[in-house]
Amino acid sequence: MSATAAVSATTPLASRLLAELTAIVGAGNVLHQRDELLVYECDGYVVNKKVPDVVVFPTCTEHVVELVKLCNRHDVPYVPRGAGTSLSGGTLAVGGGVMICLTRMKRILEINTRDRYAIVEPGVVNVWLTRALAGTGFHYAPDPSSQTACTIGGNTATNSGGPHTLKYGVTVNHVKGVELVLPDASVVTIGGITDDPPGYDLTGLVVGSEGTFGVVTKVIVDLTRDPEAGRTLLAVFDTVEAATETVSGIIAAGIVPAALEMLDNLMIQAVEQAFGFGFPTAAGAILIIEVDGIDAGLDREAQLISEIVQSRGGRVQKSITWRTRKEPEYVAIWKSRKSAFGAVGRLSPTFCTQDGVVPRTLLPHIMRFIEGVARRYDIRIANVFHAGDGNIHPILLFDERDGEQVQRVLHASREILEECIRVGGSVTGEHGIGVEKMALMPRLFAPEDLAAMIAIRNALNPEGRCSPSKLLPSGGHCIERKSPGRRASA
Amino acid sequence: MNETAQPSWPDPPAAGSLGDGRLALARLRPETVVDLCQAVGEHVRDGLAIYPQGGTTALDYGGIPGRPGVAIDTRSLCRVIDYPHADMTITVQAGITAASLHAVLAEQNQRLLIDIPQADRATLGGVFATNTSGSRRFGLGRPRDQIIGVNFVTSEGIEVKGGGRVVKNVAGYDLPKLLTGSMGTLGIITQMTLKVRPMPEASAVVWVPFTSLASLGGTLDALNTSGSRPVALDLLSAPAARIIGESLNVPAGDWVLVIGLEDNATSVNWQINRLMIELGRADLTILQDEHAAAGWAGLTEFSAAELGPVSCVVSIRPSGVIPFVASIDPGRWAVQAHAGNGIVRLHALGDWTLDHAAAEIDRFRSLAEREGEGGSVILARCPTGWKVRLGVWGRPQADWALAERVKQALDPIGAFNPGRFIGSI
Repeated sequence: MSATAAVSATTPLASRLLAELTAIVGAGNVLHQRDELLVYECDGYVVNKKVPDVVVFPTCTEHVVELVKLCNRHDVPYVPRGAGTSLSGGTLAVGGGVMICLTRMKRILEINTRDRYAIVEPGVVNVWLTRALAGTGFHYAPDPSSQTACTIGGNTATNSGGPHTLKYGVTVNHVKGVELVLPDASVVTIGGITDDPPGYDLTGLVVGSEGTFGVVTKVIVDLTRDPEAGRTLLAVFDTVEAATETVSGIIAAGIVPAALEMLDNLMIQAVEQAFGFGFPTAAGAILIIEVDGIDAGLDREAQLISEIVQSRGGRVQKSITWRTRKEPEYVAIWKSRKSAFGAVGRLSPTFCTQDGVVPRTLLPHIMRFIEGVARRYDIRIANVFHAGDGNIHPILLFDERDGEQVQRVLHASREILEECIRVGGSVTGEHGIGVEKMALMPRLFAPEDLAAMIAIRNALNPEGRCSPSKLLPSGGHCIERKSPGRRASA
Repeated sequence: MNETAQPSWPDPPAAGSLGDGRLALARLRPETVVDLCQAVGEHVRDGLAIYPQGGTTALDYGGIPGRPGVAIDTRSLCRVIDYPHADMTITVQAGITAASLHAVLAEQNQRLLIDIPQADRATLGGVFATNTSGSRRFGLGRPRDQIIGVNFVTSEGIEVKGGGRVVKNVAGYDLPKLLTGSMGTLGIITQMTLKVRPMPEASAVVWVPFTSLASLGGTLDALNTSGSRPVALDLLSAPAARIIGESLNVPAGDWVLVIGLEDNATSVNWQINRLMIELGRADLTILQDEHAAAGWAGLTEFSAAELGPVSCVVSIRPSGVIPFVASIDPGRWAVQAHAGNGIVRLHALGDWTLDHAAAEIDRFRSLAEREGEGGSVILARCPTGWKVRLGVWGRPQADWALAERVKQALDPIGAFNPGRFIGSI
């Protein structure tokens, strides 16, 4: 990648910019030393790196407004960032410039369980809201695996999912409105606490727009009733195939589980080494199958699921009956699942987590395909994913010091994602396009589809200074930018 | 817009209605998407506006058609493109009627999670363009929660798609949601991919009469954390309850709370018992099986009722529903409130003057739009001559300027449904 830095450290512009940034947010909320900035050179996608020129930490909407005005005055690009857990380079400072890090806007402004909403600042970590709601009988439904680190602002930008989206939907289904600082530095509230405001569903448009329409400074989310109870089953299979067929069987039987997660053998070993939950390390695959709802109705559903598991040659190793999501066994099994990505570190120094989607019934096919790719490219691939949604997460293990291996990983990733497209799926279910997958957008969408999206982007972000070179390919060149902040209209 | 040609409104009979007494210069019913694209392109080049139409169940919904144009009827685009039922998705053309879709889904014991009135006429394109929903949105979600892919034809006569056919997909902007509720102003929806769900094993409609509103506020507060998990919480005034209850053999009441339950049979039965305990009453009327289906149908059809000259939809906080309803004369308005969502549907009763209606709508708006509430009042229907004064969409919202920019981006010449939606759109 050959993006040009907007401001090199020693130019007069740089020192003036730095002084003005500092005047807005205070010296304690600015990072500009090279060693301080290194942390921000990438997010969870480590293949591309770019150090921003400066990182600022606004603590209120007014700060963001002044920062955007300043960037406009100096024609410097800027990119919002939450916790940097994006797995697709969504927060990469492609054109250098100013990184607006929202982690110090971290207040929960209001919780209203009667009207079932909460208003939070973008830097509120997902799990903080869950904790703040403990005991109220309500929760915030989206629970990405990174929920102990990722922010609700970042979840909003990428339309994050998580294990419980199968029944409860993804982030966009739970965001009622946002406050947004637009690229012209005006502040607008979109949507709100009441339903169906007259006008377009701009909330739906902004969620998942990966920061390309402005900087979200407040998020109004809806709150969901806690289920009365649940059953979480751990089903063990000799083969991945049997597990994926079980997934199809459960859905076909008309059961909509709250979660339906799969781990393959490599992943089981990593997780078991890390947490010692008691997963069977010899198993070909395991499924975590959760149903929730009214306690009285759950035993029948759990029984039916057990029968489907057995009919596919699996066995239910454990069945957890729970009333709250705080029960130790429940916490343990989900901690193991949600920390799976971290556990991969035990298998390999670096890894690339892919995110593809296929129609649920084609899981057996795509898993066979991934096995083939692993063999052909001689790469180890671990799998842990949201099977009920058809949302796969092959994790490609590699050593980033070995350039040839990196190339094999990139090719293998591409082949898996192209197969997802070929069978009618998508190249991202919840991680976003970021910089990583822009080149694949023309494979998913026709030129006229992309032209419509670019027209919308240009209407709301006409100068292209906000999150440049993300999400949408511009022309035939994807992430190459020669000069920051300048964008020919498409 | 083509400045040289300024077509004028046609004389009757012309080519049928565009709504609000305006007539179409021509009516086209393309058999294919290619034909539809061509029809749009040609008529836009001739300087005509384009008015998409489906089953015409909402023909008078929105502002008055703003300039002469043609009606494009989508009803011949009614194929099921793909129904991988085990994936719980279906891809259909937009002109399919809700009833036809229901029949296709029922063969696999599945359904779409939207209550749609006049289902034998309403097309799916129209349902999504107008953001139609009903009582069960409380538990089952809104149209935006069901749509995962959309194709639409722009004013250039080009078919554009957004989203896809898989249930989780964050590639590109969420055009399916943008088009949902866009009132046909961004393009003609030609195809969509929808999430579908298994039919519930059991369903119950619990009918609870009340003699006054006084205790209902506390009841609704308590139901917010009920041990049951209702999928619908509707509050009906006496005339609404009488009409909906007509064929249901249910007791009358000054006010009736309708609590809907859906799940497996064990769960539904448990929830009914639970509600009896929580409400402290044994005199609940419980409609189950085919009686429940009739109850749902009654609730759904009533949302499109035409009782008096005006109907409106008030959106407020759920906790504000009872105070708001208490401020209404139940002799002048029939009330159906989706109380869990803060959506109050009002149908005027008896004779009204424009002045009286304007005073009432103003009052509703001042209540709903109070500082910090962010609510709204949408005029669902009224005589055409009243629309300008009453205002269909209410006070401009904070994000309308942004909406206008989105409109500019996708329909820069303002070809689609001019005059019908918010602001200058």
